[in-house]
Amino acid sequence: MMRTLPKRRIAALLAVFACVWSLAPDGAGGAPRSRRKPGKSQAVKNLPELKTPEDKIRFLEMIRNTFPAIRSGTPNLSSITLDEILDRYVTDETSTPLAEVVDDETFLRRVSLDLAGQIPTPGGIRRFVSSTDKRKRSLVIDELLETDQFARKQARYWRSVVFHDSGANRNMVNPQAFEDWLFEEFKAGTGWDRIVGEMVSATPRRQKDVKAQDNGWQQDYGPNNFVLACENKPEVMAAQTARLFMGISIGCAECHDHPFDDWQREQFHELAAFFAPGKYFMSDQYDPSQRTEMEARFLLGEEPPLGLKPDQRRVAGAAYLIYNPDNHWFARAFVNRVWSELLGDGFYAVDSLGPDKEVVHQLVINRIAASFRYSEFDVKWLFRLICNSQAYQREIRTIEDEADLFTAVRPSRLRSWEVADCLEIVIGKHEGLRNAVTTAFEQNPSIPQQDLEGSLQQALLLMNNTVLQQRIADSPLKKELLELDDDQEVIRHAFLGVLARTPTTDETARYVSYFKQIPDRREAVEDLIWVLINSAEFTTKR
Amino acid sequence: MPNNNLLNVCLNRDGQVSRRRLLQVAGGGFAGLGGLPFLQRLGLAADEARRNGRACIVVFLNGAPSQFETWNPKPGTENGGPTQVIDTAIPGVPFAEYWPKLAAMMNDVSVIRTMAGKEAAHDRGTYHLLTGRRLGGASRFPHFGSVVSHELGDPDAEIPNFISIGDTLNAGFLGVRFSPFVVPRAGELPANVEATVAETRVDRRLSLLADQDADFQTAGAERIAAEHQELYRKAARLMTSEHLKAFTVEGESDAVKSQYGRHEFGQGCLIARRLVESGVPFVQVRRSGWDMHANLWQNIPRAAGEVDEGVSALLTDLKQRGMLEKTLVVVLGEFGRTPKINQSTPNVGRDHFARNFNLLMAGGGIKGGVCVGTTSSDGMEIDDRPVEVDDFFHTMCRCMGIDADKELITPEGRPLRIVDAGAPVEELLS
Repeated sequence: MMRTLPKRRIAALLAVFACVWSLAPDGAGGAPRSRRKPGKSQAVKNLPELKTPEDKIRFLEMIRNTFPAIRSGTPNLSSITLDEILDRYVTDETSTPLAEVVDDETFLRRVSLDLAGQIPTPGGIRRFVSSTDKRKRSLVIDELLETDQFARKQARYWRSVVFHDSGANRNMVNPQAFEDWLFEEFKAGTGWDRIVGEMVSATPRRQKDVKAQDNGWQQDYGPNNFVLACENKPEVMAAQTARLFMGISIGCAECHDHPFDDWQREQFHELAAFFAPGKYFMSDQYDPSQRTEMEARFLLGEEPPLGLKPDQRRVAGAAYLIYNPDNHWFARAFVNRVWSELLGDGFYAVDSLGPDKEVVHQLVINRIAASFRYSEFDVKWLFRLICNSQAYQREIRTIEDEADLFTAVRPSRLRSWEVADCLEIVIGKHEGLRNAVTTAFEQNPSIPQQDLEGSLQQALLLMNNTVLQQRIADSPLKKELLELDDDQEVIRHAFLGVLARTPTTDETARYVSYFKQIPDRREAVEDLIWVLINSAEFTTKR
Repeated sequence: MPNNNLLNVCLNRDGQVSRRRLLQVAGGGFAGLGGLPFLQRLGLAADEARRNGRACIVVFLNGAPSQFETWNPKPGTENGGPTQVIDTAIPGVPFAEYWPKLAAMMNDVSVIRTMAGKEAAHDRGTYHLLTGRRLGGASRFPHFGSVVSHELGDPDAEIPNFISIGDTLNAGFLGVRFSPFVVPRAGELPANVEATVAETRVDRRLSLLADQDADFQTAGAERIAAEHQELYRKAARLMTSEHLKAFTVEGESDAVKSQYGRHEFGQGCLIARRLVESGVPFVQVRRSGWDMHANLWQNIPRAAGEVDEGVSALLTDLKQRGMLEKTLVVVLGEFGRTPKINQSTPNVGRDHFARNFNLLMAGGGIKGGVCVGTTSSDGMEIDDRPVEVDDFFHTMCRCMGIDADKELITPEGRPLRIVDAGAPVEELLS
């Protein structure tokens, strides 16, 4: 891990801030310095105060305009090129054959779950399968990317990423406001850089004489909630910024030098200093009463000008995170998250990257990440790139060996809210049941799919929950099925309605024979719906 | 028996069915699942003999209690703060004033005052103290309860081998078979354990489900489908279990309920006793709210009072029922708190501190009346007998009859010892 940068680089970094600076008459910025001693601050004049979100966004926007990738180009990576490069790397590693590309039904269910968070309707499946348009997969990807469900899915995912480990008091945060804000941003196609910039640079302030739960922390303003989920604590913000937006795990450097990587305790606290409301002190590892003042310094050695006010310093932190051309972690972390969500495996564990050598097929993801920058961090561009690739459209396989990564797609467990949504399609809305489902299926969204496990509680819930059983008995699907005379049609309809695919011949035969054994048709139909809802496939993306 | 030919691959030297092997068998065809209980019964004889009635109850004090306000007070010193002390049954070993009931029964309990931790963040400390390993690296280690479940649990048991009242860590690389069964609140039946249709119909549905999952398994979802079937098999067994009533306080007298304390934690201790009595080898009960950076002296009396009441009732009850000898009871948090009292507002508290902290052990082969280690008068340093987390785990393993040096195999095939280093705290062992 790089500890310090060549001086030339540091000068380039300073230029990022300096270009905005130069607006000030006495032009701050300047030549690279060696590591400073804290306390020798000099005032920075004429720099905007950056107290309001609008000022911060405007300032970050000016820095954004100096970012080379954004200034100079359009993304130059197509799904076809991506497949060519990836296949070359993958086949170098393993002799395991690449899995076949999936059929239309499987593709449609997969891409609908991935981009809209729910399964397609029987009518939608029929139309898609019967279409003879050669570009139909591409078109449906474009269509889904423009739906509200796409934006909602991304918003929910990031809400759960940010809040999963949050220790914040619930009166201090408003996860729904956070989700709703993200929804609007994803819907509008706002670049990932701008979204993160707004989150990280936010400074929610405690409102005097207002109860915490009554927006006392300005938590109803969506972007404030990343900082609030971090309990407004500089150390937590530092750890989470690195973990969520750079994919690297430096949290343990809070207390000691990182045991596995090169991260020093001092570096962690220099990062935390960006988020402090005033001077920032690092407590001694052994005697917390001994404290050393730390100056803000970003992970690649970026030092903001001296004398910044807390708001300005936080904006500087956001700028170094996002717009330092040398910080390749930022774009790559997002690419890896999205890839990992879509294919079931990442190029590395999404939030715990140690040294770069842990990255599999490093050049491939670096290439995607570079292009993602050229796309101006366009989230939909990235989804479009991956979803149109063969890598994404391969059949599932349980990959056990790292060398076999990306020879197939890994079957992925649906997120808790997706399980709830898929259930609602069959049995309608029920708030209590929805809560029970989302609680039982809750998982840390940052844990790799291959490490996730099901639980006994999940099984018991889908098997026996009284509301669910009653709703199955009363479901419109059951009514529809009972109106059909032909057993094979009943079975086909049930599969399409619950699993969004037609049954195989074996499956049809199995249930036809079951229907013959059970004299009570209502009972048989209910059993069929029960089995499909309880099947592993129902809660999995195949 | 169609599975006879699998015996050699499925049983390792100890007669254990390893998870990976089991999954491979399951992956080899779902018809094979019907034969699994046979395989497991083979393992069972060995398990039962090895377990020999042993069990473990871990009382986890979430948030990390202060050693100064629990069992290692420093009265009359600046760091000791306003906390008064009381005598215990061990001469010369006073406790903080908040623990009168346990103080009186220290003949049956021992205290380690010199736990030497390394992690002072909650998640990392919790991980270290409950798995015995430090967080990081490629493998996620199992909660000790999962290890107990793996080593001593009856795979064919009707109720899960590891029950946690309140959330906790999972089984890590040991996988879902050894995961804790979490009951959110003490005294309630686990949710959704009652079938809504007749038993024969449940069986029919499950049989269809097994075929459905088998199809999915062939389609490439080997691991997910196999695990899913296993969960449903377990779920079905739990639903019809006689032991379900152990999750409730049904049949306990008011006197007993009051003795344990009329609070969530106390009732949790009572449920823990009932679960152990019905054969569960590992139960965890949790009492949160110990992260007292501020308002420490305002909050400690109630927190300590509940734990003092619940744990003393539990130990008394186990002893009266003749179960204490085989039931190890451990009371601990994830680390300790700073000797120096901070300047938090409105009221002061103590921050995170891992260099030394304390915990209690009783029963299950632990000698009572022992106090291990001493710390300096300002509480900063260990003067005598540091006990590493590894040593503590060795001691628990010894009590439970688990070979701490045994290697567990991760799904990647990596052998990892149950405890990595250290040795049992011999002075605690009878």
